[in-house]
Amino acid sequence: MTAIATTTAFSHATVESFLESRHEPDWMLDQRRAAWRMFSELDWPDRRGEEWSRTDIRLFKLDKYSWPPAVSDDLRTPPAVLQQGVHLAGSSAALDSRPVASHLDPRWAQQGVLFGSLDQLLAEHGERLRPFLQRRIVNPYHDKFAALHAACWSGGHVLYVPRGVVIELPLHVFSAMTDGGLDFGRTLVVLEDGAEATVLAETASWSATAGGLHCGATEILMGCGANLRFVNLQDWGQGVWHFAQQRALVGRDATLQWTIAALGSRLSKVNQHVSLVGEGASCQVNGVLFTEGKQQLTYHTLQHHEARHCQSDFLYKAALQDRSRTVWRGMIKVDPGAQKTDGYQRNDNLLLSEHARADSIPGLEIEADDVRCTHGSTSGKVDEELIFYAMCRGFTRREAVRIIVSGFFQQIFDRITIESVRDALGQAIAARVREYH
Amino acid sequence: MKPTDSQGRSWDEVPQAIKDTFEKLGIPEAERKFLAGVKAQFESEVVYGSLKEDLSAKGVIFTDTDSAVREYPDLVRQYFSTIIPPEDNKFAALNSAVWSGGSFIYVPPGVKIEFPLQAYFRINAESMGQFERTLIIVDEGAEIHYVEGCTAPMYSTESLHSAVVEIIVKRGARCRYTTIQNWANNIYNLVTKRAVAYRDATMEWVDGNLGSHLTMKYPAVYMMEPGARGEILSIAFAGAGQHQDAGAKLVHGAPHTTGQIISKSISKNGGRSSYRGLVKVEQGAKNTKCKVVCDALILDSKSRSDTYPYIEIAEQDVSVGHEASVSRIGEEQLFYLMSRGLSESEASTMIVNGFIEPLVKELPMEYAVEMNRLIQLQMEGTVG
Amino acid sequence: MTDFLKVATVTDLPDPGKLTLEVEDSVVVLFHVGGRFYCLDDVCTHDGGPLGEGRLCGHAIACPRHGAQFDIRTGNPLTMPATVPTRTHEVKVEGGEVYVRINQA
Repeated sequence: MTAIATTTAFSHATVESFLESRHEPDWMLDQRRAAWRMFSELDWPDRRGEEWSRTDIRLFKLDKYSWPPAVSDDLRTPPAVLQQGVHLAGSSAALDSRPVASHLDPRWAQQGVLFGSLDQLLAEHGERLRPFLQRRIVNPYHDKFAALHAACWSGGHVLYVPRGVVIELPLHVFSAMTDGGLDFGRTLVVLEDGAEATVLAETASWSATAGGLHCGATEILMGCGANLRFVNLQDWGQGVWHFAQQRALVGRDATLQWTIAALGSRLSKVNQHVSLVGEGASCQVNGVLFTEGKQQLTYHTLQHHEARHCQSDFLYKAALQDRSRTVWRGMIKVDPGAQKTDGYQRNDNLLLSEHARADSIPGLEIEADDVRCTHGSTSGKVDEELIFYAMCRGFTRREAVRIIVSGFFQQIFDRITIESVRDALGQAIAARVREYH
Repeated sequence: MKPTDSQGRSWDEVPQAIKDTFEKLGIPEAERKFLAGVKAQFESEVVYGSLKEDLSAKGVIFTDTDSAVREYPDLVRQYFSTIIPPEDNKFAALNSAVWSGGSFIYVPPGVKIEFPLQAYFRINAESMGQFERTLIIVDEGAEIHYVEGCTAPMYSTESLHSAVVEIIVKRGARCRYTTIQNWANNIYNLVTKRAVAYRDATMEWVDGNLGSHLTMKYPAVYMMEPGARGEILSIAFAGAGQHQDAGAKLVHGAPHTTGQIISKSISKNGGRSSYRGLVKVEQGAKNTKCKVVCDALILDSKSRSDTYPYIEIAEQDVSVGHEASVSRIGEEQLFYLMSRGLSESEASTMIVNGFIEPLVKELPMEYAVEMNRLIQLQMEGTVG
Repeated sequence: MTDFLKVATVTDLPDPGKLTLEVEDSVVVLFHVGGRFYCLDDVCTHDGGPLGEGRLCGHAIACPRHGAQFDIRTGNPLTMPATVPTRTHEVKVEGGEVYVRINQA
């Protein structure tokens, strides 16, 4: 009788065999190996620290997931909401950490734009992408999840826009997951000086209850005077564990508008950092969180003013239903030399049910004096008078709540300059409003 | 004014900087010696004597905690350590093990004490001590205002001070606890202060932090029955070598409670001022209303200001708002005042005084006067 | 209504004793005191601390973070700084085995 040993999918042997299958340049393989060593040495996050004390991951078991991703003939992906009715300059899709398809309008390829699967473009343009991938925009050693990603990433997307190139139509990137699957996608966006682009990034599972694991990273690098609108719609199934590191470096006079809509996942722990590294840089972040069931979404954001005359404006709005929970922790950090900083941060929470819980922790660490930094946070419920008024007008209670929830998010929608995104988000949110009495 | 714990020190041993500040603040001679821990007769014993009679005629108990444990054991045992249990945090644990001194006050039902009770009235206090333990019980419908500390710098040979203050405010009662702390720059001042307010009771903390090398202090109000109210007014001034890590905590544990936190902080000359606060609304605490406003002034590029508010809402029927801002003195304001003949220093001082005015106006008169003078000194940079 | 799930045998836990367990989607603490079994959420309602890692004294469990105590029979807070009860789960013992039904409320 043979004893059956249960091994986790993630071991030195499986990682080495995965690396052999990659056909990547040595510098990338070295990077992965160093990250794997770090993963092996680090413990899972400690609940006692500030970063994880409100996010309980004891029920998360890495060995439930099989890896590396299996080759499959079925490459169908669920419908992509942000793509509908939109003319695109290009699109790139991945399923369970494997690239599926990508295309880029030749007009842009001719101008030197690189766009598509990071796996494939690394193979073709390794040297061009090398400085960005080695830059550590996201810290691969931040914690065990970051190290896991840095060692095992695959199925990611990349956009590289050369100097002065302005791409008027949006580009769509899509990462999908089958039930119980795994997405380790790494997204890299580089805009050289004066470049402009719009990226619509979307994630989805096949069903609303699907499970799985997403351990990802998003890295954004913007040169002087660059302009990027980046939209992130997260709509994983409600069984998915979602861990992500996201960081943008915004250069001199560059402008970043970053919109995040988080609807899915069982538990999300996302670190979203924007570093304003060149004078005159500015960023606007719009966050929409809408939860239900027993979901927990934890977002830790950072506006780091490293240079003078920069501006940052983060607005996060969360509406919570059922027994769900949100934790929003935001920090504005102003370095000693970052004079003339204008930093703003606000979090509003709408609690739609008795058992929901919203934690809001705006923070300020200011070491320059010639600054203007403010933050605000409000929490409350739907105004019963408004419901009553709407119902008198013939709306059902559910329709009335839907209107009010839309109104709550209106301020964010007004800030989103891409109409198709506004519409898609508006619909996705309206569909999710429950009925409460 | 409490004596410092090194009794029997001679006037000569008191640091010159302290003596100079007394001089500048115009503190009377006898008080100076008392403040500096020099054993001396203090005229106000006579004044205190008659107050004491008046209070005890009303059934008010006002003594030091050590005596209270001996003389009123049942009363003390009923409440002691119920608000801040020993394992609450390591400084509370330390205090629980070695506490000595502090005030014990019991105000019977319906008794309203019109004048503020001051810590220094307890002349029979042994030593102020590093580990004071204060317990205040305000029975139904009673009212009290308790004041501790002083604006004059407090000097102590022990560098760690870890006090615990527990307050129970019963139905319909009102309690205000005012602290002005101006410990000398070698002191670590780590204090746990917590009050529980019951039905229709009001608890107010007025907390001024001017001194010490490091202060960590977050007065708290737990509102446990409907109609309870908690208000905290906190001022912190951090100069060179100082870190004021202060704030407030409000826990709404019952329906129809209201809370308010106003925090004002100033950082100057490399000082660091941090606001750390909590607003927690438990599930079921319907119709909670709570507002927090934190304003911080940074006066120069060497200084630092932090704000760390924690807001935890587990009840939907609430109205909770928080806002904070950090800025420097407005150029236009300065220019306007200077065009009226004030020097830059005078103009800044005036603006800073205006900034902290909401707290100062809540202080008993003599404190307010001293506070304003002290701020002036701090702004001139002549007080270390 | 969820079912009773077998979580342990009677001999797994000394008396007095406690054991932190994962049952379905919850992390809970099973207690064995005075010949009986009790079950609470492994969550201190004050600040989310792990009750199961605290000190058990009679029928009281103290959270290691700030010392808040809870009655293991009812989940009720016994001392500050906790003011809200933690969730209890039904326990039954049959044939030397311990069963827990997770309270979905």
